[in-house]
Amino acid sequence: MKGSHTYRHVHEWAFWGFVAPSLVLFFLFFLIPLVLSVGFSFTDYDGWKRLNFVGLANYAEMFQDKNFYYALGRTFRYTLVNLPFKVFIPLLFAMLATSSYVKGKGLARTLIYIPVLLSALVVGITINWMFSAEYGLVNFLIQKMGGKPLQWALNSNLATFVISFASNWSSAGFYMIIFMGGITNINRDLLEAASIDGANSRQTFFHITLPLLAPTTFLVVLLSTINLLKEYALVQGVTQGGPGLRTTFIIQFIIDKGFKQMQYGYASAVSFIAMIIFGIIAFVQFKVSNEGGEN
Amino acid sequence: MEKSHGLMRTMKDELSLGGAIMRRFLSVFLVLIMASTFVFANGSAESKETSQSGRTLSVLLSEEPAQGDALVNALNRWAQETGNTIKQLVIPYEDQLTKFPLMAKNKDLPDLVATTRLGQLYPDEFEDITTFLDKSMFEQQALTLIGQSYTSKKYTTAPQQFTITCVYYNKDAFDKAGLKVPTADDPWTLDELYKNAKLLMDKGGVKYGIAMDGSRARYDNMMYMYGGSLVVADGNSFKVTVNSPENIKALQMFVGWNNTVMPKAIWAGGTADNPADYFKNGDVGMYFSGTWNYNTFVNEIKGMRWGVMPSPVGPKGGSAILGGSGLGVPVHAKNNDLGKAFMKWFYAKDNFQKYLNDDKGLSSLVGVTYHPQDEQVIADYQVFQTEVPKVPSAFIVDESSNWRQYYDNEYRDALKQAVNGDITPQQALTGFATMLSKKSGWSLVY
Repeated sequence: MKGSHTYRHVHEWAFWGFVAPSLVLFFLFFLIPLVLSVGFSFTDYDGWKRLNFVGLANYAEMFQDKNFYYALGRTFRYTLVNLPFKVFIPLLFAMLATSSYVKGKGLARTLIYIPVLLSALVVGITINWMFSAEYGLVNFLIQKMGGKPLQWALNSNLATFVISFASNWSSAGFYMIIFMGGITNINRDLLEAASIDGANSRQTFFHITLPLLAPTTFLVVLLSTINLLKEYALVQGVTQGGPGLRTTFIIQFIIDKGFKQMQYGYASAVSFIAMIIFGIIAFVQFKVSNEGGEN
Repeated sequence: MEKSHGLMRTMKDELSLGGAIMRRFLSVFLVLIMASTFVFANGSAESKETSQSGRTLSVLLSEEPAQGDALVNALNRWAQETGNTIKQLVIPYEDQLTKFPLMAKNKDLPDLVATTRLGQLYPDEFEDITTFLDKSMFEQQALTLIGQSYTSKKYTTAPQQFTITCVYYNKDAFDKAGLKVPTADDPWTLDELYKNAKLLMDKGGVKYGIAMDGSRARYDNMMYMYGGSLVVADGNSFKVTVNSPENIKALQMFVGWNNTVMPKAIWAGGTADNPADYFKNGDVGMYFSGTWNYNTFVNEIKGMRWGVMPSPVGPKGGSAILGGSGLGVPVHAKNNDLGKAFMKWFYAKDNFQKYLNDDKGLSSLVGVTYHPQDEQVIADYQVFQTEVPKVPSAFIVDESSNWRQYYDNEYRDALKQAVNGDITPQQALTGFATMLSKKSGWSLVY
């Protein structure tokens, strides 16, 4: 009995020892700022000296601000358009990286993963240089091949394409690794049994691999959705929200209001509402996918 | 018995496993402690070195200094003379509004700040320079425009780089297009400027006839040339005139220029390109910028002949905007006295003369003038001097209203949207006028 008490004690210590650092970080960098932010949303805080209670004035202003709705609408459109690429491209990479027929898998995996290690702002600035209308590498190559240079920065569709390209390029490696984990966890016996029963690779993929990857796919969809909704550093590096305000998404709207215009209270109100909207989207995803395929 | 024996063995195994986990956790924890001790030990070793080799003056700059930067040269000369060291802290202009208040809150301010606006936005954070410098040594216009806070009337910065907007031109392109440079007595009108910009693109071998910094002040010159303004004085207050018919005409002209003779992406947004690079590469015929770029161009443009031309005149006359950056000492800076000592040294006539010879700009000190030796520089400098009388009174009124404390980026966003064609110039200016009026409490004229 004494032994089992000591054993539980050791387990408890070990548990708290491993969890404590994450808990501390969670408190410091999420919970406390969240509480502060909600508090500021009811004030006219300018980030420094002015702090007066204004009740729901910030929320009232936000719901009448057409730029808020435009930014939110652009964010949703951007997310919907890019989500399929965030799932299918890494899945394709993962299938190739785990296939016995593909040579040079190790090198390919490394090259695909390297962009994940770069900061989003560095990616954005590098892509901006590559796609610069005047001196960019892409337009240089297009002209060398006899084509006309494209106005990446002036056409909002092209500008959004450039951001999407940068976003997919920088994150494909991360989601590929997640899919690879899911694929390698599939019981080999099932795949062998399918092969013995005469299933070809397409049938195996659609009827065995893909269904068994449901929880992994759900995780990738959820993470991609949240990251697309929160896209900022990349946009700032590539287009700075232009042309006009055509690539100003909701996070940039919040940062402009808070840090450039010193309207911390208003920005806090917008970010709180944005958090609720993103939470609802994540909740809907959970329910639609039967809680990640677990049920 | 066997069962309890087995259970005991399992418990023993688990305990030893738990012990192994704890030991591993402890060893990782110890490594982290050692690593952080190393970091802190290094940190304190660094600060020991600083105090042993003289004091360090930390200086906040708004951008990475270019080759031959006049202020950096002056700082290095002072450091050599006094046996101190300089620590440069570059915070880009766009980030200063976020970072400076945080630094002030944390009492972690640099000892000297070179800034165009921080002294006016946060006057309480800066020393009054008249407490350690003689106000009468400065050109009053420079001191008021750059150094005086509009809210507290305190002089928070001393003018360091006194600048004026100007137009650079590509001599090679002008010669190729057969164009003669206008003179101060016979400047081009805006219509002539536009016509010649198209000629430069057709025959001068440049991609763009005109380029402009994506700075609101560059556009404002167009507005003043049309007789427009952002506000007008109304007793002790102001009235908003952002959406006046003159302003709308100016913006319509500007949108047209962007669609035909200018690199539209700069003003429409969507690119981080700097039009100064376009000019340096020989892709632009005429570049609207300011005297702060002159020294950089002298040092960096080698493959192209260039010069300075008088700015054009609009229907209501010419316009040039004075400005510049100043040096200020934060009240709560750690080496506040060192910052003041540098400023006293800097504004001594001989030292400021050396600075001015490097800067090749306008002087903000009475009795100190830049005397260029190079013929071309002499000619360019004379053009700068002819721009000074063009500063419109409407600009002085706009500045005195301090309208930027209410909105700043929103004005630039409205212009961006108009240039990009998202909204008409009228909608852009009326939208911004309404916002400014609501926030400031000033009534609308139109």
